Amino acid sequence: MAGEDLIARFQELGMSEQKAKETLKNANVTKNLQLALAEVGAGTALGDGTGMLIYHLASKLKPQTAEHLPLLVRYIVERKLDNTQRVDAALEYVLKCGQKLKASIDLQELDKECGVGVVVTSEEIERAVQSKIKASYKEILLQQRYHFNSFKILQDVRSELKWADAKSVKAAIDVEIFDLLGPKTEADLKPPPKQNEKPKAQAKPKPEAAQPSATVEATSDGATTIAELMKTKVHFHAPGENFKTDGYVVTEHTEKLLKEHLKRTGGQVHTRFPPEPNGILHIGHAKAININFGYAAAHDGVCYLRYDDTNPEKEEEKFFVAIREMVEWLGYKPYKITYSSDNFQQLYEWAVLLIKKGLAYVCHQKAEELKGFNPPPSPWRERPIAESLQLFEDMKRGKIDEGAATLRLNLTLEEGKVDPVAYRIKFIPHHRTGTAWCIYPTYDYTHCLCDSLEDITHSLCTKEFQSRRSSYYWLCNALGIYCPVQWEYGRLNMNYALVSKRKIAKLITEQIVHDWDDPRLFTLTALRRRGFPPEAINNFCAQMGVTGAQIAVDPAMLEAAVRDVLNITAPRRLVVLEPLKVTIKNFPHKSPVQLDVPDFPQNPQQGSHKITLDKVVYIERGDFKLEPEKGYRRLAPKQSVGLRHAGLVISVDEIVTDPATGDVVELICSSQSAEQAEKPKAFVQWVSQPIPLEVRLYDQLFKHKNPEDPNEVPGGFLSDISDQSMTVVRAFADQSLRQAKVYDKFQFERIGFFSVDPDTTKDRIVFNRTVGLKEDAGKK
Amino acid sequence: MGLNVELKKLEELELETQRLAAQLQSSKANNGSADQTDDDLLKLQVENTKLKHRLAILRQSIAEESKAGGSIEVQENSSITEHLHFVFAQAIALAFPEYKDTPVSIAPVNSASAKFGDYQCNNAMKLAKQLKEKGINKSPGDIATEIQRNCPVSPLIEKLEVAGAGFVNVFLSKNYASQALSGLLRNGVKPPPVPKRRVLIDFSSPNIAKQMHVGHLRSTIIGESICRLLEFLQHDVVRINHLGDWGTQFGMLIAHLEDRFPNFLNESPPIGDLQVFYKESKKRFDEDEEFKKRAYSRVVSLQSGEPNSIKAWQLICDVSRKEFQTIYNRLDVSIQERGESFYQSRMLSVVEFLRKKNLLEPDEGREIMWPDESKTGIPLTIVKSDGGFTYDTSDMAAIRHRLEEEKCSWIIYVVDAGQSTHFNTIFKAAERCGILDRAVHRVDHVQFGVVLGEDGKKFKTRSGDTVKLSDLLDEGMKRSLNQLESRGRNDVLTPQELKDAQEAVAYSCIKYADLCHNRISDYIFSFDKMLEDRGNTAVYLLYTYTRICSIARNSGEDFSDLAKVLEGVNIDLSHEKEWKLAKTLLKMHDILIKCSNELFLHFLCEFCYEVCTVFTEFYDSCYCIEKNKAGEIIAVNRSRILLCEATAAVLRQSFFILGLKPVAKI
Repeated sequence: MAGEDLIARFQELGMSEQKAKETLKNANVTKNLQLALAEVGAGTALGDGTGMLIYHLASKLKPQTAEHLPLLVRYIVERKLDNTQRVDAALEYVLKCGQKLKASIDLQELDKECGVGVVVTSEEIERAVQSKIKASYKEILLQQRYHFNSFKILQDVRSELKWADAKSVKAAIDVEIFDLLGPKTEADLKPPPKQNEKPKAQAKPKPEAAQPSATVEATSDGATTIAELMKTKVHFHAPGENFKTDGYVVTEHTEKLLKEHLKRTGGQVHTRFPPEPNGILHIGHAKAININFGYAAAHDGVCYLRYDDTNPEKEEEKFFVAIREMVEWLGYKPYKITYSSDNFQQLYEWAVLLIKKGLAYVCHQKAEELKGFNPPPSPWRERPIAESLQLFEDMKRGKIDEGAATLRLNLTLEEGKVDPVAYRIKFIPHHRTGTAWCIYPTYDYTHCLCDSLEDITHSLCTKEFQSRRSSYYWLCNALGIYCPVQWEYGRLNMNYALVSKRKIAKLITEQIVHDWDDPRLFTLTALRRRGFPPEAINNFCAQMGVTGAQIAVDPAMLEAAVRDVLNITAPRRLVVLEPLKVTIKNFPHKSPVQLDVPDFPQNPQQGSHKITLDKVVYIERGDFKLEPEKGYRRLAPKQSVGLRHAGLVISVDEIVTDPATGDVVELICSSQSAEQAEKPKAFVQWVSQPIPLEVRLYDQLFKHKNPEDPNEVPGGFLSDISDQSMTVVRAFADQSLRQAKVYDKFQFERIGFFSVDPDTTKDRIVFNRTVGLKEDAGKK
Repeated sequence: MGLNVELKKLEELELETQRLAAQLQSSKANNGSADQTDDDLLKLQVENTKLKHRLAILRQSIAEESKAGGSIEVQENSSITEHLHFVFAQAIALAFPEYKDTPVSIAPVNSASAKFGDYQCNNAMKLAKQLKEKGINKSPGDIATEIQRNCPVSPLIEKLEVAGAGFVNVFLSKNYASQALSGLLRNGVKPPPVPKRRVLIDFSSPNIAKQMHVGHLRSTIIGESICRLLEFLQHDVVRINHLGDWGTQFGMLIAHLEDRFPNFLNESPPIGDLQVFYKESKKRFDEDEEFKKRAYSRVVSLQSGEPNSIKAWQLICDVSRKEFQTIYNRLDVSIQERGESFYQSRMLSVVEFLRKKNLLEPDEGREIMWPDESKTGIPLTIVKSDGGFTYDTSDMAAIRHRLEEEKCSWIIYVVDAGQSTHFNTIFKAAERCGILDRAVHRVDHVQFGVVLGEDGKKFKTRSGDTVKLSDLLDEGMKRSLNQLESRGRNDVLTPQELKDAQEAVAYSCIKYADLCHNRISDYIFSFDKMLEDRGNTAVYLLYTYTRICSIARNSGEDFSDLAKVLEGVNIDLSHEKEWKLAKTLLKMHDILIKCSNELFLHFLCEFCYEVCTVFTEFYDSCYCIEKNKAGEIIAVNRSRILLCEATAAVLRQSFFILGLKPVAKI
């Protein structure tokens, strides 16, 4: 049927011309509609609204239930399914039967599920509405009046009268409410009062930083915590209902395999985090960890940590340890730690089986020949099975040179990639299997089979793997083994960051950063060293959501999440980064005094610490100005300032300068008690009898958002290094910081959040700046 | 691809590795030069790693391909120990080529020390000693590690570990075990592959006109079981009854027959009791000089083949034969008769043969033969002073016939321990005259001790007579029935079932009691002991077996077609007791080979007993059929029932070899 005809026929169904044209663009819906129209038959007059129900059906039909289209169309035409609710119920029912290939539909059951022929009278509706309002809603209605969302009543009534017409119910409810409350008053028309109990942690960062800059409106799909996200925002299939998902391929074995799978798992959710142990984890992995472990945790399931160690070239012991450490640091405990290589024997036996079934063959095309868009087809595709078997055996035995043969699957991927490689020869010992193997399976081949072996219910991966989904299903089905469901989500990319293992290595060898955990990087070890709390990283991931869209965010967004956590967890301390000596001439005490200072001023019951106040104090050099500009609020020759927690206000009596440079080296001040003095414009932090600290201040490493993008940075990422990415200062802190342990986190009042660096020794205390107190808007 | 090609490749690779190593060495020496060298060095290091890896892979492949025609599979039904011998022989040959002929020492590990695996190879200690003698100091631990590293991959082995002072511990693969048991169920219990031989077993061998007694019982039971064992191992077995049917006593029997039944040529004489007949003639022979003379003349006419005498001799033999056959039938023994008479002509020729070789020496009118050149010990009397022959003559004729005419390569004599000097002499003499070549032939005297009564003295009736075998068997039947009745079985079983059970218990007990001890020692015959239903007795084994068989029957499922059941079920060995049972069952081939090497059947008896006790452990801790309180079946563990079936199959085969007859109900 030509496009014009189709548009006409679509319009007959009740679509506008515009809608019909749009529909035509969707090949799948168009195909379904054509089939439906053929079923209806030309010349059959369609009843009121029937056409749009057919359209509804066509747009919602899943491929695995497509065979039932004629039946459902007939039901619609016969007005057995006379509203969208019934059509949806019918679709749900046939999907439920979809586990079996060529399932026959029990029509009686279908009628029951869809309420065919059930008529709900307006009296019944009225009665139901009245009784519901009386039983549960009367009081709240009287209290909230028209601000109450009457949709709840609608839902409630329809849970009882499943097939009642929504409009009629709504009308009945409105009547009842009017009866109860009378006409709307002025107050009813005002917006409802705001609820002011917004949780602190939910405080959104500043809008310009918060917007994920590159793509979609992702934040609306997010949640505050991973647990919340996984429970409320993510809608995956229930274990065992694999066949209900889009694109799942049902075979004659599916029903049996799913039943056995459920028996093994007891219906529990099984996920896995499957990193290749060839590098260390970065912020992008944090998302994968959170989704996999978080989803399992939120559904009382389990999550494996599986090292995808099929490539012997790149694996090093340290990566295995580091990966596990980071997973645990983020607060997750793997159900089991497994290795893809544990399955080498099974994978090999399956490969032999595939050859025997004619679904795989040994190929001698060189790797270079297969590069590019349209590689020539393999001339070995049709070779006899016995020959492939022998050659595969020879590959395994070490008789064939590296690169001279591969095992390929007889399969075309949807992106057009032909016959993916399943095995290749590598004469490299494997860290776990030693010299047992010289053929190693590829990711494409291994991944789905290991998932199947571990009875994974949800194989969660990033969007790039969407095109591999069909080969995933194909392979499991070809071997007649349990087939998990693959779900994809968008990758998380961080602007101003670089996560490629090779490129980070380059940064290290070029001595731009110090090591893999240099706090300027976005590896997880770096973030830990910089002082990011794991829960902040997790919450950040939760805010990003689990949508299919690829997200690129500025580090500021992550930093905001960090601030939210540290604000309520990092105790405060007084520290001056650039000390200026102040001698208080009229120090009011005979000797140094100990002051009790709360760790969290807003919440003093959370504990306190002691600091010393002496005749000599140090303040931040920046808090004194010889020539203050207008609006300056802190210490100046003619402007006093308060010392925080000390109960003193100081004013400058004398300025001591270095005769050589003219720099101010000391201020001689006099003090007044805070009660007596005029209230100063500001209070500043100070320390007495200080201990020295080494404080490392970090800034963005790269100047551009995408340092790897040749358009943005033509000179390559090495040319994009900011020369101020790290400064080291000698700061003064009060004695209480002497006891701080590595990774302890503090808020240095008025400065920012800081964390103890692992370089710290008994005699040398090193702090890293985690984040400033507020986002530094001036930096952009 | 042939082995040679691989070897050549290997050599090339080794050269290549050496070349690279040299290159590496020289680049190391040049160190400190430009980056260029470092890159080259790195490339070479990678290349070196790859070559080493490929070398290791090829070595494994060669090891695998050189056995069983290049297949990595374990030879089907192979005994585990034999397979491990093979694996470690290769490993030793690869690791220490100069010691490649060292006999491999494999020992099973006591199941109590499971952490040391299931088997161990103990060669490292001895190799360390041998190397030390050569001035090479290597710890057994290092040697064991090298052996371990060179072990070819075997599907039978889960892992290898070096432990202690240099043991290589072998852990069996569950996967393999599961497959082996599936194979066993699918195809039945198959024998382990062994080199086939034609083997003649000389057993039972009673004397005509004399009763069989308990001494013959032992030879019969042991001989029959050895036959069954070797037949199961696919040897070509010749079962020979070396009857005492020749000699001077036949002269007096024939003379007496002529007098008692003159019409014997036309009418079969009704000799009721041959023993009485024998005694009568013996009495006449001792008292009547004229009768004695006639008796001698009948010996001559018999040996010269005079028809009437032959006929009389045959009649007499037939009477005995019938009696013997009844016993054989009761004991389910089959045997081919080849009595001493068969060798009459061959005795003549063997004498001729020995004389020609100048091996016969005159000695006071006799002709004797020394078993060896040293002429010590006891000589054989080949020709008596009266020109007649002796047992020595007939045994020499028999061994010659068996090796040269029957073309057997293995002869087993199942004769009591008292004859051991005689047989040693015969074997030596046969070697001396070139009949026996020990490089090709194997001869064994399977000796056994005497049967004692419960008083520890020679087994006799109360009146002091030797116990007649038929009476003994009758007594066994009676006792067996008592035992069954005391357990109330007569109320449960049908008359036919009861009779079957009675016979099974009676004969099985008698055989098992004989076989389950080391045959060389004397054994005490006690019906009370052998009928106990506890401990290592036939009754215990039969009960256990029947119980095992009933499990599948009571499951409510169909296990008659095991191949079909196996299509849907994998034998799961994850439970510790399942695994223990599986490993025990898989020892069967080891045991059979051990039995056939040493010709001791008590190993097999002990194995059966172990299987039963391990099975009981398994059954006590693993549900096969789960029932609810109402006694309804709620779950059937097919894998475990298959394990039960495998146990039954192993027992059934072992029972068959031991001559035990299981019955469906007992």
